[in-house]
Amino acid sequence: MSSPALEEFLARLYTDEAALSAFLSAPTETARAAGLDHAEISALAGADQTGLVMAAASFRAKRARRSRRPPLLRWI
Amino acid sequence: MAVAGAGAAEGRDRFGLGWRPELAAGILAHLDRIDVIEVIAEDYFDAARADLRALRTLASQVSMMLHGTSLGLASTVPVARERLDRIVRLMETTGAEGWSEHLAFVRGGGIEIGHLAPPPRTEASIEGACRNIECATRIIGCAPLVENIATLVMPPASRLDEAEWTQGIIRGSGAGLLLDLHNLYTNAVNFGDDPHALLGRFPLDQVAAVHLSGGRWIDGPNGARRLLDDHLHDVPLAVFELLHELGRLGSQPLTVIIERDGRFPPIARLLEQLDLARTALAAGRMAVR
Repeated sequence: MSSPALEEFLARLYTDEAALSAFLSAPTETARAAGLDHAEISALAGADQTGLVMAAASFRAKRARRSRRPPLLRWI
Repeated sequence: MAVAGAGAAEGRDRFGLGWRPELAAGILAHLDRIDVIEVIAEDYFDAARADLRALRTLASQVSMMLHGTSLGLASTVPVARERLDRIVRLMETTGAEGWSEHLAFVRGGGIEIGHLAPPPRTEASIEGACRNIECATRIIGCAPLVENIATLVMPPASRLDEAEWTQGIIRGSGAGLLLDLHNLYTNAVNFGDDPHALLGRFPLDQVAAVHLSGGRWIDGPNGARRLLDDHLHDVPLAVFELLHELGRLGSQPLTVIIERDGRFPPIARLLEQLDLARTALAAGRMAVR
């Protein structure tokens, strides 16, 4: 468990509101459709859904804030 | 293995600030009270020559560490060579004494998350992180200090807790730990751990540097509240208490950096917090073990 495919899946949850919404509604089915293996699908079934929503919102705000900053300050 | 800078080089505790353009004038005016500065590497990857010259001049006046935020070391995917080459060039250009990066992943499958995300805490991500640290060390010429991150989400698909996972990477890679005490505090309160108990389970003998910062509570769905490490607030008392405890538990010299990314207070207030950090660490050092 823990693979490039799982990291891509998580990156999508953190950046794509529709993907996150689909996962929250049907974790197992969404993970299976993404091609994750059985162990990964099982592990994601009990994911911290509240935390996923809060983390995704925080990352969204970070991206928005960064895009408004001058280049020298983008990574703060 | 050469380990990035930090206090060990001088055999004493050092205290400093994260370099931000908004703080530049205040920092330059108070170099007598600041031992070290930490520069965000990504701010200077595409900087003009004049800005890089200024940074090199700065490094000649005060000890400088580079702090990366975009490598994504804690990943099962290898870090791209060109990202490491940019660190190499900046190290050479500035003459910085060392560099650090986070134990995070920041992208997957070409999707940029835009910030530091916690990977699944598993044996596989430990192995991936160790491979990436080894590769970065070889290319850059010195090992990074690696930093624990704060998280609002219990990392999905994890099999290990944060302390076990961090121990695995530190022991497996030989890298030094940049221990962010506000990140540790944040994760403890967000997920029901005692901060001091969690601190005691980290590989404290490998801590070379410390970050201090502040944050705020935010609301989530279904009445949830979690602490966000936003670097926009003063260092809370609870974090100074953890620094005191760290000083009590360990004896190696430390480099302590306060990070502030916005809502900048007068420089005097940041210097006061540096003094509080000096006092807390010194008191911990003197406490009976």
